[in-house]
Amino acid sequence: MPELRPILLVEDSPRDLELTLAALHKCQLANEIVIARDGAEAMEYLTSSGPHHTRSQGDPAVVLLDLKLPKMDGLEVLARVKTDDRLRHIPIVMLTSSREEQDLVRSYELGVNAFVVKPVEFTEFFKAIQDLGVFWALLNEPPPGSSRHAKS
Amino acid sequence: MTAQDKDLQSCEQEPIRVPGAIQPHGGLFVLRSADMCVLQVSKNLSDYLGQSIALGAAPSGEIADLLPALSQWYASAQPFYFTVLEDRRLSLVAHRSGLLIVVEVEELGDQSLDDIFLGLRSFTQRLSSEAGLRGCLRAAAEFVHDLTGFDRVLVYRFDAEWNGQVIEEAGNGHLPSYRDLRFPSTDIPAQARALYASNRLRIIANANYIPVPVYPADNPDTGQPLDMSFAQLRSVSPVHLEYMRNMGTAASMSVSIMVGGRLWGLIACHSCDPHLVSYTVRETCDLAVQSLAMAIFGLERAEEAARRFALGQVTTVLLAGMSASSDWVEGLVAMEGALLSLVGAKGAVVVTEHVFRSIGETPVEAEVLSLIAWLETFAGQDLFATSELASLYPAASSFAATGSGVLAVRISELHANWLIWFRPELPRTVQWGGDPHKYVQESGRIHPRRSFDAWQEMVRMQSAPWQEAEQAAAHDLRTAIVGVVLRKAEELAELTRELQRSNKELEAFSYSVSHDLRAPFRHIVGFSQLLRDREVALDEKSQHYLQTISEAALAAGKLVDDLLNFSQLGRQVLMPKPVDMDKLVAEVIRSMRLAMEGRDIEWSVEPLPVAWGDATLLRQVWYNLIDNAVKYTAPRRPARISISGEVRGDRLLYRVKDNGVGFDMAYVSKLFGVFQRLQRAEDFDGTGIGLALSRRIVERHNGTIAAEGAVDGGACFTFVLPATERKDRAFA
Repeated sequence: MPELRPILLVEDSPRDLELTLAALHKCQLANEIVIARDGAEAMEYLTSSGPHHTRSQGDPAVVLLDLKLPKMDGLEVLARVKTDDRLRHIPIVMLTSSREEQDLVRSYELGVNAFVVKPVEFTEFFKAIQDLGVFWALLNEPPPGSSRHAKS
Repeated sequence: MTAQDKDLQSCEQEPIRVPGAIQPHGGLFVLRSADMCVLQVSKNLSDYLGQSIALGAAPSGEIADLLPALSQWYASAQPFYFTVLEDRRLSLVAHRSGLLIVVEVEELGDQSLDDIFLGLRSFTQRLSSEAGLRGCLRAAAEFVHDLTGFDRVLVYRFDAEWNGQVIEEAGNGHLPSYRDLRFPSTDIPAQARALYASNRLRIIANANYIPVPVYPADNPDTGQPLDMSFAQLRSVSPVHLEYMRNMGTAASMSVSIMVGGRLWGLIACHSCDPHLVSYTVRETCDLAVQSLAMAIFGLERAEEAARRFALGQVTTVLLAGMSASSDWVEGLVAMEGALLSLVGAKGAVVVTEHVFRSIGETPVEAEVLSLIAWLETFAGQDLFATSELASLYPAASSFAATGSGVLAVRISELHANWLIWFRPELPRTVQWGGDPHKYVQESGRIHPRRSFDAWQEMVRMQSAPWQEAEQAAAHDLRTAIVGVVLRKAEELAELTRELQRSNKELEAFSYSVSHDLRAPFRHIVGFSQLLRDREVALDEKSQHYLQTISEAALAAGKLVDDLLNFSQLGRQVLMPKPVDMDKLVAEVIRSMRLAMEGRDIEWSVEPLPVAWGDATLLRQVWYNLIDNAVKYTAPRRPARISISGEVRGDRLLYRVKDNGVGFDMAYVSKLFGVFQRLQRAEDFDGTGIGLALSRRIVERHNGTIAAEGAVDGGACFTFVLPATERKDRAFA
């Protein structure tokens, strides 16, 4: 049984947050879902700093990262994570409202693990979120030693 | 420089201003201005003035009586002092030479002043009544001939290279006519021309004269020989005397025609036998010739002004044409006649980095481009004019027939932008007074030509020369073009900036639409679904309302997607490569299986030619056309959809035909517009953007798309693409 690691959901829109959480709950994942409302907060969680300096869990199984965020946008978070030797192994899935060529190109340049356009159709949206959760939280094997932030 | 050239130039260095001797038809003495003491005398002076002049003392006798008047004149600004010694029938002329006074005496002539004055008056009257240059010259030649009695009087004009041509003549037939003959510039060397410009008249009464030395040779005060630049009696160069003898003349006189400060030409008089004219007559000739010079100056000015005015009007016409046209090159060449007549050319080309346009008779493009490469080597020169291009640029000999003369103006410093006029070869015969290329060598020294028999030379690869006014007009036009080009460039730059700005705004707009507009629709759909899942007990009506809310939001979301797709198409970069259209069509049909469930469709798909383009975009075209066919054949059982294609010349043709509800051809023009629907929305779903998108894709492949149909008679869509990638046209 793989170790249960949290899913970090970074989303500023309360409505998208609610819908995404509903979808994740529906697939009955046991993983804790940690929520950050902007890029800066996400970085604090990932680097165990600020209000998160005492967090106990290991690194998240996946970061579901919205592209448009206040303070620090998704692309910047992505860039910081992927250029940080301690964080770069964390899978990042970019979630965006629309398929903008320039965002897609930039994300892959920065080393994104997946890029998902949120479908308008609800069942499709649900399915996408559930697939993501199941894939990254349950099926994907992280590289060895990647949970060194976990407190034993 | 050849050895011959050197020898000829050394003849230019003869000491013509300080010959140390005079001609024998008069006497000369030199006074020190400070004390009127005689410093130098000609050896023959006593023949004229007896014993009144002695070296080292002030003059005595009648000359002593003149000294107060001479002193007064010396202090004045008058260049010459003139008087008559009645008792001795002598004329006396004095001029300054530094601190010296040079006095010359000559015998008075026998013509009465009254006669001379009458002749002069009728000459000036005739001169003022002559309208043209030729008439003025003839009047002057005849007047000088009548007054002086020389056998032959020539009017001789210099060209730009200082070759001379006889353009008018008057005479009694004793000497051969030189009319129309040309004389090489070496006949009158540069230092002689300079002297002629400062001292306008000289006479050699006898070419075989024995020079009379001036004694002592050097001024005892300064040790310098006497400068005789302005002396009437100055002894001339032996080379010149030899030249005269070779011409068969024993006496000569010439008067400079100074026009606007430049030596325009000469009135040259000759006689077979020695011939002397008095100082008074010579002065009258000079006066007459200066009147002629003023007349020439006026005529040339008027002619130049008229020409400039006419050319200015042509420039105005050209400028108006250029300004009216969006492209200055087109505006310019459209007015072929005006462009050529501006400078009197037979052909012209306008060359910019993008276009090559020629009008009239010009060399071919490759020849012109090589010529421009050569012109480009003259950095910083905006105007280039020659009437003998081949002598400067040997490659031009191959197009001498059209381009012996070239007048080129550079439009742009940065790019090879040129406006070039061409003049054809003008083969002409030049009549030289003897072979100018032949010199007779004798005991190691070059002598002037012995033969003055007319010698013909054929001049090839030369055009008519470009006049100053024509070059000025070319230069003015260049300035005007540069102004127009600059203004157009500024307008274009401004427009580009404007477009870039609005394009940026548009991009920002579509980016924010894509993110911000899509999200609320997703929320509506999501939450109404959550609500439906939660409220299982909702009645049918409530269920229906919720369903409608969902569908409406979904449709709006789809609309946003389609719109974005359409707007992004303009910005997307095409990736052209060979496209297997059979495969694309098969994939598209397979992807629609779901939509076709329960439908009875008879497909007819023929093999299609391979296209050249962007596979992803072309798939979208097929998808839209086939999707339309499937959609609009919904009422048909069976529906028939046929897909075919063919190669037609250098075009590829693809067709999708159905037996559906069709459309009214009256609305065919609206079919490909954005959001144009020809069917009621509730009958057939879709956002109405598919055909607009298809047209945009096809057009970006440099192709066309068309539709044919009839109400209830089916529809047929045809799109045509270029068969291969065309090198001359990038994908738009």
